[in-house]
Amino acid sequence: MRGFRLLLAAAALAGSAVAADAQTISYAQAGAMLGKSCGPDITKLCPTVNLGNGALVACLDSKIKQVSAKCQSDYAMATASIAKRDAAQDAIGQICNADAARLCPGMIPQDGNLLSCLLQATKVVSAACNQAITDAGYR
Amino acid sequence: MTSPLIRFALAASLALTGASALVSTASAQTQLSDTQILKGLQGLTDTAPAITADQMRKMVQQHMTQYPGEALTRPSLALNLDKLPQINVQIQFRLNSAIIEPSSYGTLGAIADALHNPILHGYKFIVTGNTDVTGTREINLKLSQQRADAVVNALVTVFNVSPNRLEPVGLGEEVLLDPKNPTSGINRRVQIFTIGRVGPTPQPIR
Repeated sequence: MRGFRLLLAAAALAGSAVAADAQTISYAQAGAMLGKSCGPDITKLCPTVNLGNGALVACLDSKIKQVSAKCQSDYAMATASIAKRDAAQDAIGQICNADAARLCPGMIPQDGNLLSCLLQATKVVSAACNQAITDAGYR
Repeated sequence: MTSPLIRFALAASLALTGASALVSTASAQTQLSDTQILKGLQGLTDTAPAITADQMRKMVQQHMTQYPGEALTRPSLALNLDKLPQINVQIQFRLNSAIIEPSSYGTLGAIADALHNPILHGYKFIVTGNTDVTGTREINLKLSQQRADAVVNALVTVFNVSPNRLEPVGLGEEVLLDPKNPTSGINRRVQIFTIGRVGPTPQPIR
């Protein structure tokens, strides 16, 4: 019964640990992993429950003993991946602030032009900022 | 916070390192890549027509009133929004339901990847649901709204897209992708339109 909630809490924690282990996968990969590993369980146990609003997690949680081990672990991994990618994307602004001021002064940052500026300047961008761009999946 | 929680966190965090190899096969199921979606949704120009979700719903209502006839004889509603950046994407739902099939979770993620890209960060979108003409017209309208709601809901609550960037609109069976084949499955789809900027203009970098 408590299994899924534990795993999800774990995922939230993993998201905040992004600086320690910053490798992230795309939302598409996380979604596909969730669908692939949990699809059979969802179809069998929670066929009338939708993905959003925590409804699916709540349903699987309530039937946790029937949920496959693969789904349990991959659900946690997918959720953690999404949180980590989100945190990595949020972190760029701060990590790349000084690089942006140095390399792209006066630019109004919209439509991805700041990212383009930093990508073009990759060779002279700080290692931390380059890493942040990679972790965010923007390369 | 108890110690089991932290242990799980560590396990999940460590497990992630090996995740990329695992998921490479799973991601092959995604039909439309995030790059294609990104390409389709960028490039909104100042000359593009302005449209709101309410206006779109009114167009549907007017069309249903104006053309009450049998599905195969009436025209498809032309939204005339060709100048807006847009994509058509197939999301699989359970039959006669708004439940998204797990096989489409990857596609939802690909949409999220595109929406989280800095190129699209400052924009808002209308997400429409569309059915084919099989079944009752009114029920299709309701179902398409529920499906659009479900997609937006998943994007917001699972994939962390900001809710003020997405508005769901059910278009029912009114806007056909292939008007010559109104019963074709190709008409069952989700469309996403880029409709405008969101938030204030950012300050220049200094």
